[in-house]
Amino acid sequence: MSDNNEFEPKIIAYVCNWCTYLGADLAGTNRLEYPTNVRIIRLPCTGRIDFNLIVKAFEMGADTVLVSGCHPGDCHYTSGNYHARRRWMLFRGLLDTMGIDMERIHFTWISAAEGAKFQKVITEITEKTKQLGPYEAYRKVCKVS
Amino acid sequence: MARIGVFTCWCGENIARNVDVEKVAEAIGKLPHVRCSVAYKYMCSDPGQAIMREKIVSEGLTGVVVASCSPHMHLKTFRKAAESEGLNPYVVEMANIREHCSWVHHNKEDATRKAIDLVRMSVAKVLRNHALDPIRVPVTKRALVIGGGVAGIQAALDIADAGHEVVLVERDPSIGGKMAGLSETFPTLDCSQCILTPRMVDVGQHPNIKLHTYSEVEAVDGYLGNFKVTIRKKARYVDMDKCTGCGICWNACPSKKNLSEFDFGMGTRKAIYVPFPQAVPARPVIDANACIKLTKDKCGLCEKKCPAGAINFDDQDELITEEIGAVVVATGYKLYDIGKEQQNDKLAGYGEYGYGKYKDVIDSLQFERIVSASGPTVGEIQRPSDGKEPKSVVFISCVGSRDNAKGVSYCSKICCMYNAKHTMLYKHKVHDGQAHVFYMDIRAGGKNYDEFVRRAIEQDGAQYHRGRVSKITEENGKLIVRGVDTLAGVPVTVEADLVVLAAAMRPADGVEQLAQKLNVGYDEFGFLSESHPKLRPIETNAAGVFVCGACQGPKDIPESVAQASAAAGKVMMMFSRKELTREPEVACVNEQNCAACFACARACPFNAIEQAEIRDRNGNLVKRTARVNPGLCMGCGTCVAICPSKSVDLEGFTEQQIYAQVESLV
Amino acid sequence: MLNQLHETCRKLLEDGTVQVVIGYGQSSPDTPAYPIFVTRPEDVQQLVWNNQCFGNLTTYLTRKEVRAMGKPAIVVKGCDEKTLVVLEKESQIDRSQIVVIGMACSAVGNPPLAKCQACEVHMPRFADATIGQVENPASETDGRYADLEAFLQKTPADRMAYWMNELDRCVKCYACRQVCPLCYCETCIVDKNRPQRIDTSPTLKGNYAWHITRAFHLAARCVGCDECTRACPAGIDLRLLNLSVAKAAETDFGFRAGMDPEVEPVVGSYSEQDKEGFIR
Repeated sequence: MSDNNEFEPKIIAYVCNWCTYLGADLAGTNRLEYPTNVRIIRLPCTGRIDFNLIVKAFEMGADTVLVSGCHPGDCHYTSGNYHARRRWMLFRGLLDTMGIDMERIHFTWISAAEGAKFQKVITEITEKTKQLGPYEAYRKVCKVS
Repeated sequence: MARIGVFTCWCGENIARNVDVEKVAEAIGKLPHVRCSVAYKYMCSDPGQAIMREKIVSEGLTGVVVASCSPHMHLKTFRKAAESEGLNPYVVEMANIREHCSWVHHNKEDATRKAIDLVRMSVAKVLRNHALDPIRVPVTKRALVIGGGVAGIQAALDIADAGHEVVLVERDPSIGGKMAGLSETFPTLDCSQCILTPRMVDVGQHPNIKLHTYSEVEAVDGYLGNFKVTIRKKARYVDMDKCTGCGICWNACPSKKNLSEFDFGMGTRKAIYVPFPQAVPARPVIDANACIKLTKDKCGLCEKKCPAGAINFDDQDELITEEIGAVVVATGYKLYDIGKEQQNDKLAGYGEYGYGKYKDVIDSLQFERIVSASGPTVGEIQRPSDGKEPKSVVFISCVGSRDNAKGVSYCSKICCMYNAKHTMLYKHKVHDGQAHVFYMDIRAGGKNYDEFVRRAIEQDGAQYHRGRVSKITEENGKLIVRGVDTLAGVPVTVEADLVVLAAAMRPADGVEQLAQKLNVGYDEFGFLSESHPKLRPIETNAAGVFVCGACQGPKDIPESVAQASAAAGKVMMMFSRKELTREPEVACVNEQNCAACFACARACPFNAIEQAEIRDRNGNLVKRTARVNPGLCMGCGTCVAICPSKSVDLEGFTEQQIYAQVESLV
Repeated sequence: MLNQLHETCRKLLEDGTVQVVIGYGQSSPDTPAYPIFVTRPEDVQQLVWNNQCFGNLTTYLTRKEVRAMGKPAIVVKGCDEKTLVVLEKESQIDRSQIVVIGMACSAVGNPPLAKCQACEVHMPRFADATIGQVENPASETDGRYADLEAFLQKTPADRMAYWMNELDRCVKCYACRQVCPLCYCETCIVDKNRPQRIDTSPTLKGNYAWHITRAFHLAARCVGCDECTRACPAGIDLRLLNLSVAKAAETDFGFRAGMDPEVEPVVGSYSEQDKEGFIR
C-alpha cells in the first residue's frame, strides 16, 4: 500500500491450479506487469470453490473477490468448472437480494495460455475497485455490535 | 508442536531484484511456529537443497515452505529432497514469489509486502498439512484391447510381446478392421492386406493373446488395475473347436444375395460366411437374419454337409468375465453415411450428389473394394450399374467434412491423400481413363505425402479442380457432375462414368455407449476425449483407460500404429510395477457425519464416490454413507464444495488449509 | 374429511401396516395445530384437519427417534408433499416404506398465507390415500415471486440496509434449521469448528454468514413451505432469501423443487449450455 492516502484495494483471487494459476505463471514468465493488490489462493479446480470462501474473503476485509478457472470444456477434471458455474449462477441471485455489491465479485475463465488476459483482468478489477472504494458496507456488517 | 522451516530463494536476481528477500525471511521468521527462516541464492540447486535438508534434521522440522518459483516448477524437487531426509513430502509447500510477484511487480516496497503475505499464507497452510502416504493399488497384469483393426492389433502385439496377457475383443467376425478391406495404402502403395495379414496371423497365434471375435464389451466394473469386464460373445452357430474352416458349408449355402459388409455393399455373401479369405479366425459365422434354417426352419444344408459336425443352430450368446488391469480403446471409424436418410438432424446428408439414388455414385471405401484384387470385381474397375469399365471418374473431396451446415466441422485428414491414391490406382488399371478431383485444399502433411500428390497430378495425369460440386444428375447413363474451378474462375462440368465421394470420417457406431461404460469422455462428434490434446493424447480422464487410432480423431495408418504402440507403452508402464501408486491428494468422507444425500456422488466427474452401508456385527444397518474410492478419485474437490454438511474433505486442499490461508490475510 | 382421515389412520394402525401416524393435533380450535405421533388405533381421534394445520410434518421423517418408531404414515398437504419428492431424490426416505395421506387444501391461515395465494398443489399428487377435494383449485398464478420482485425494486443500498436491520434481530436460535425438513444433516456446517467457516455469534457478521449459507444450501431444494419464516421468533422474512435462490433456479434452469420426481436435482448436475453472461 502506498504512503499517500490513496486507497489500495485488497483483492483475493481463488484460482484453479491447471488453468488460471498457470496463466498467472505465464504472465510472470512474460513479465507482464499488473498491480500488487491481488493475493492468489491456489485450488485444484474451481469446482472446489464453495461460496462460503467468498463470504469469508469479504469478512477478512477483501474489497473484491475474483474466482477464475478453466474454460468450459477444458477442465482438467472434465466437469468441475461446470459445477462451479452452476453454483455461481444460483449464488448471484441470493447476493443480489441481499444487496451485496455484485460489482465486487468477478468470475472469469482464464486458460493456461492466457497470461495477457490475466494481466488485463487483474488490472481492470483493481482499477474498478479503486473507483468503488473500500467495501465499507461489509466492514460495517463485520463490526462487533 | 509444529516446527516450520521457511526457505526464501533469491533465484539469483530473478526474485531478489524486485523483492527484498532478506526482509521477507526476517518478517516470516517472527511468525509463531516458524523455527527457522533463511534466504539463499538458489534453493533448487544442490547446495540449496542441502541447506533445507540440514535444517530439517537440525531443527526437527515438521513442515517446510519454500518461497521461490511456481510449484509447477519445483514442488516435486523440494518434496523429494525432504523425503530423502525422512520428512513426509506432503508437508512441503511452496509460495510463488517469482511468477506471481517479482516478475510482475516493479515497486520493491509493494512487491516485498505482497511476498510476505504470500509466504505467510503458505505457512498458515502448511501448519495444517497432513503427512500422506501414496495410495497403493494392486494391478492385474492383463490388458483389454477393444477393437481389432490395425491400431488394436498393434497394441495387442506390443503388449503381448512384452510378456503380458491381452484380451482382444472385436465386434466383427474377423479382426483386420477397415485396413483389411483397403486395396493399397499411401504413400507407398503397399498392398494393404499383404502388410496387415501377417500381423493378423501373429495375433491369432500369439500365446499371450486371447481373441474374442464377434464379441462386444457388455459392462465394465472396477477401477485402475482392477477392472472386471463382461464380454458378450455373440452366437456364431458354428462350434469353433470342431470347425476346420474347410468351406464346404459356405459353398453349399443357398442364401446368396446378402450384401457383404466387408465389401460395403458392393458384393454379396452367403448366410454362413467368412468375411474374407484371410480372416482371423478363419471360421465362419451364420447371419441369423439371412439363414433360412434360423428364420424359416428349412434348409440346414450346411449342417448336413459339415464333415466335422460343427454347425449348431441352438447356439446362444455367451457372457464371460475377464479380470483386466488396463483398457486400450481402438474402435476405429466409419464413414459418414452420405445418403438422404440420416439418423439425426445435424447430419443432413448429400442428396444432391445422388448417393443411394444413382448406382454409380459410391463412397471411398466402396471404391477401395472395387479396386482391390480380392474384391467383388476381382480388382477390375467396373461400374456398379452395368459392369462396364469407367473411362472418366470424378473424386469429390470433403463430402461432409469441414461443413458446419450439413456435416461435421472438422477435416477428416486422410481424404486428400486417398483421393490422390485412388486416381493413381485407377490410372494404373485404366490407362486411357481420366480421373478428376474436385477439392477445396490439399492436405498432405506427412513424410513423402506431398510428393505423392504431385505424382498423381504430374505423372498419372489426374486433373484437379479447385472447387466444390453443386449437383450430380444422370443423363443417358452418364453422370453429369457440375462443379466449379475457382482458380480459373469458370464453372466445370464433367461427364463421368463413376463418382467417388470422400465421405467424412466418423467414430464407429456405438462408441458413445462404450465410452459411458468406461467413464471416458467424448466430444460432440463422438471422438473419445484424451486427457490433454498436446501432452497426453493417449490417456483419458478414466485412470487405466487409453485410446489410440481413429476413435480419438481422424488419422491415417502410420499415426494409428504409432498411437497404438504409445498406448501399449502406457500399459506396460502400468504393468512394470508390482503395484500402482497414486497421488494421495484425494477426497475422503467422514462417514460418521455423512448425511447420505449423495450430492457428491452425483457431482463427481470420475464416478469415484459410491453409496456404502455401515453395518454392525450382527449385520444390521447402522447408517448409509458416501464413500470415496481412492483408486479413482482425481482430487478435484467438487464433492467438498457441494457437500452441505462438509462431511467430505480433500487432502492437500483441506477446508482447514484453505480457510487458514484466507484468514492469514487479514 | 376428518372422519375419513380418522378411519384411514385407524385401519392402518389396526392392520399393522404402519406403526405410527404423524399428523396434526390441536388443543383448541383457532390455535395453531401441532404435530402428534399416534401409535394406537383408538388415539386417531386426536388427529385434526383444518386451516390451522400449518406445519410441514415431513421434517420428522428424517429424525432418528421417529425412524425408530417403525413404518410411518404421514399427513401432508400438497406443499408438504413436495418435500417428499426432494427427500427421496436425496436418498433420505424410501417412499415405498411410507404411507402418505394427502389432504386436499385450499389454504391455511386466516388470512391465507402468502404461499397459499400462489399455490399450484392444492390437491396432493403422489399420495397413497387422498382425502378431500378442492373445488376450483387455483391454477398457478405468477404471483409466486411477487413479494421478491417487489423487494427487488429497492436499490442495492436499500436492500443492504434492510437486511442489516432485519438480520440484526437474529439471535441464532436455529429454529429455522430445526423446523426445516431439508436441514437433515447430522452435524450442521455451522456446528463444525475445524475450520469455523461460519461465525456462530449472533452478531451481524455471524447472522449474515449463517443466513447466506442456509439459503444457499437450500438452493433448488427448498419447496417453499415457509415454515422457517413462520418459526422465526424474530420475525425475519426468510422467505425472501429462499425465494431469490428458487427464482434463480427457475429462471436459469427451468427447475422447481419438488414438482417432478424424474428431474435430476440442479445442484450436482450441470449442462454445457448453462448461461454464463456474467463470466468473462
